[in-house]
Amino acid sequence: MTPEYFRWAERLFDLTGAALKPEALAGIRVLDLSVIILGPATADFLGELGAEVIKIEMPGHGDVTRILGDRSFFWKNVGVAFFGMNHSKYHVGLDMHAPAGQEVIRKLTARSDIVVENFKAGTLEEKFGLGYRQLREVNPRLIYVANTGFGQWGPFSRGRASYDGLAQSVSGLTAITGDGEIPTRSGNYIGDWFGACLSALGALAALHWRERTGEGQFVEMAQCEGLVRAMDWTWLYAGLTGRDRPKTGNRDPVFPTSGVFRCADGYVALVAGTDAEFRALCRLLGRPGLTKDRRFSSAAARRAPASAGALDRLIADWCAGKSRAEIERRARAARVAAAPVMTAKDHYESAHFRARRSVWEHEDPVYGPMVEYGPAPKLSATPARIKWAGKPVGFHNEFVLKKVLGLGDDEILDLERAGVIGKWADRLGAKPPDDWPARAFIQ
Amino acid sequence: MPSSSSSDWSDWIRREEDPARVSEKPEALDDLVVLDLSHAHYGALLASTYLAELGAEVVKVEPPEGDPARSWGPPDVALRGEGLAFAAEARNRYHITLNLTSRAGRSLLRGLAARADVLVEGFRPGYLDSLGLGYRQLARLNPRLIWVACSAYGQFGPQAANQPAEYDLTDQALSGLLHISGDPEAAPTRLGSWITSYAQAAWAAMAVLAALHWRRRSGRGQMIDVSGAEAVMRYLEYSVLLYHTAKQVRGRTGLYERAVFPYTFVRVKDGFGFIAGYTDQNFGAICRIMGRPELARDPRFDSTLQRTRPENEVLLRDEIEKWSVNYTADEILDKVLADRGPGVVVFGPLNSPTRTLGEAHWWERGCFRRIADPLYGEMLVSMPVWRMTRTPPRLKWPCRPRGYHNGHVYGARLGVGPGRLDELRNQGVL
Repeated sequence: MTPEYFRWAERLFDLTGAALKPEALAGIRVLDLSVIILGPATADFLGELGAEVIKIEMPGHGDVTRILGDRSFFWKNVGVAFFGMNHSKYHVGLDMHAPAGQEVIRKLTARSDIVVENFKAGTLEEKFGLGYRQLREVNPRLIYVANTGFGQWGPFSRGRASYDGLAQSVSGLTAITGDGEIPTRSGNYIGDWFGACLSALGALAALHWRERTGEGQFVEMAQCEGLVRAMDWTWLYAGLTGRDRPKTGNRDPVFPTSGVFRCADGYVALVAGTDAEFRALCRLLGRPGLTKDRRFSSAAARRAPASAGALDRLIADWCAGKSRAEIERRARAARVAAAPVMTAKDHYESAHFRARRSVWEHEDPVYGPMVEYGPAPKLSATPARIKWAGKPVGFHNEFVLKKVLGLGDDEILDLERAGVIGKWADRLGAKPPDDWPARAFIQ
Repeated sequence: MPSSSSSDWSDWIRREEDPARVSEKPEALDDLVVLDLSHAHYGALLASTYLAELGAEVVKVEPPEGDPARSWGPPDVALRGEGLAFAAEARNRYHITLNLTSRAGRSLLRGLAARADVLVEGFRPGYLDSLGLGYRQLARLNPRLIWVACSAYGQFGPQAANQPAEYDLTDQALSGLLHISGDPEAAPTRLGSWITSYAQAAWAAMAVLAALHWRRRSGRGQMIDVSGAEAVMRYLEYSVLLYHTAKQVRGRTGLYERAVFPYTFVRVKDGFGFIAGYTDQNFGAICRIMGRPELARDPRFDSTLQRTRPENEVLLRDEIEKWSVNYTADEILDKVLADRGPGVVVFGPLNSPTRTLGEAHWWERGCFRRIADPLYGEMLVSMPVWRMTRTPPRLKWPCRPRGYHNGHVYGARLGVGPGRLDELRNQGVL
């Protein structure tokens, strides 16, 4: 491709002045009533695209993710696992068990566009009087997004709680992963994050409909079903054959010349998916004659277990002793798809991901310099962004109640005295850093 | 102030979301036209699928010989010539053929793009631009166009030029997912489905809808760049922040888990099950269900900080497994569901896909359907994931052969009649 295209793309997506560009979802307000990952990430993704997100937490302790992890996770009094799904939110500590707290939620809902929750099915309606049927009374244009494990109805929807790991297990995803007897869970909480992406997408489809008609609606996304829907040909195969697709470990069954190979400083993944890529691979391995070897001369021949195994050994031998960088450089020159298995350190040091701000450095008024994973999609006119990091419980109580509900200081004080709203308890996860000078506190 | 009983809500929402009555309702995106230029690219194909399920009119443009992705699938089974990976996800589209390397073909594409809302592509970055069909060229014809480009490394940044073809496995590597999946003593483990393509597609479709929202106010389209590697990198939680704050490199933990515990697979009488309960209260419930209430008070396990110590995780998992091997997964689930609290335990069997298909829950909710397609015959398909009370997504048809809708699309959208269509076909344009 022409270098000129890439120079143009650099200019088009230039992120140096991103903060001054408009935001796609500016003017949309999201009320986030959720905890842990699935719900908070749904709201977070909308926030990255420009929505204003108000996160409601119990006064005192707040969201449980604030205190997850072993000792090494704690940084400035909070577990690092809290930040990834709580960017640029306004943090309100509010007790939804109190009738006056429920009244505040109703008032906030009346002035919001989207509510996100991940309680067990029916809980908000039955326990808090804040279900979809109640909240749409105060806001008929409301888009209400409910995330669960198993859905709002159906045999598993009552009494069965879910986490990402369970979704991986019951969906069948774990059963098609790896090749040994011991099951392998995805190393991250894939069902939560991917489910949150689907949820945010569903919310925006509903927003599109609302802009056309003025009608709000209820949108539900069940985490287990999100993973069921992300297993490509698994179900079609089971339907046609009555069998489970075989486990193939690190070999992609559709592109059998593929795998993860050890090298001098870690691992690389390599795929030769087309005949042209296979020819390029043979040249890369210094064995151009292999393309004429009848064991490898067609895609069908390369699928045979003996051929695939022989190729694996050739690739493994070639990789052994080389660095990831050397393999990547030579594979690129040869037009073979090979990629280093990257670590967090590699991400941190990657000029490429820094330039794209997928590794995002920012200076937070409370936590100081931070480096986090930045928004995934790059929008040329309305770049997604991180504005600030997650904050202690109740950090923005006054700001939100004044700006959104127009309450005065005395009314806010009354709510606080009644225990309806509150800030952080003096405990890890909930409170600000010890040396925090309180200068960034918005009243 | 609860206003209704529990059965009330589930009955009501079940009626509102009834899978059998989806076709009675409108579609959220049925005012949108999407050009799907995915070519040997599953992420771009899926992004168009999501928009098509939600109601957009999606026109898939393939070269005369067809999208190479049509052959993608397992080696042993195909569906009337189509690879299963393609047949599973190429739904609800109008399939046309068009040779973009011919002059007439490029002209037809410009005609289609002039009145499209969205264009989705997954070519090597810069390829369409080199044909004169890039965003900057087509946006001159249609400033409202929203263009989504999917690739491994993205359209800009030091590594953007000369990047290799995008595959799920290489994206799993770049994203960092591989490095943290599997046993620490062994090689990284690939997640079994093409998860990076699904993630890339979800981001792409989400960004399109956000861009549409902005277009409504500004009148302007824009270009969106979605890297499959970054799509999943964004899902890696605290990995890069932990490196920033503590210079710790997150590695593989196999059956163990650094942030929460218990959160693991354990052996059961008939295979494996997944069990979790990591807050104090929920862990207390596990101990109660196991008949081991003293474990909750054991100083090695009595707080999340203690339970997530690596050495304690091993001890604790062993304690749970001593109990779990005596029961089948169903028996354990019965015990979990019979527990009245306090605390909530998460448990379920490690299902093979066919075992998942044996559970009534998914069928009742319409996650799966058996259809009899006039062209492809009997198919078991997984259905759109969202339930929406007003504009539910839907499956209309699963897949069609290449060029199947040439007559309709070229006639309806560009006024090309059957005679001209034949000429174009003979010239190799269609």
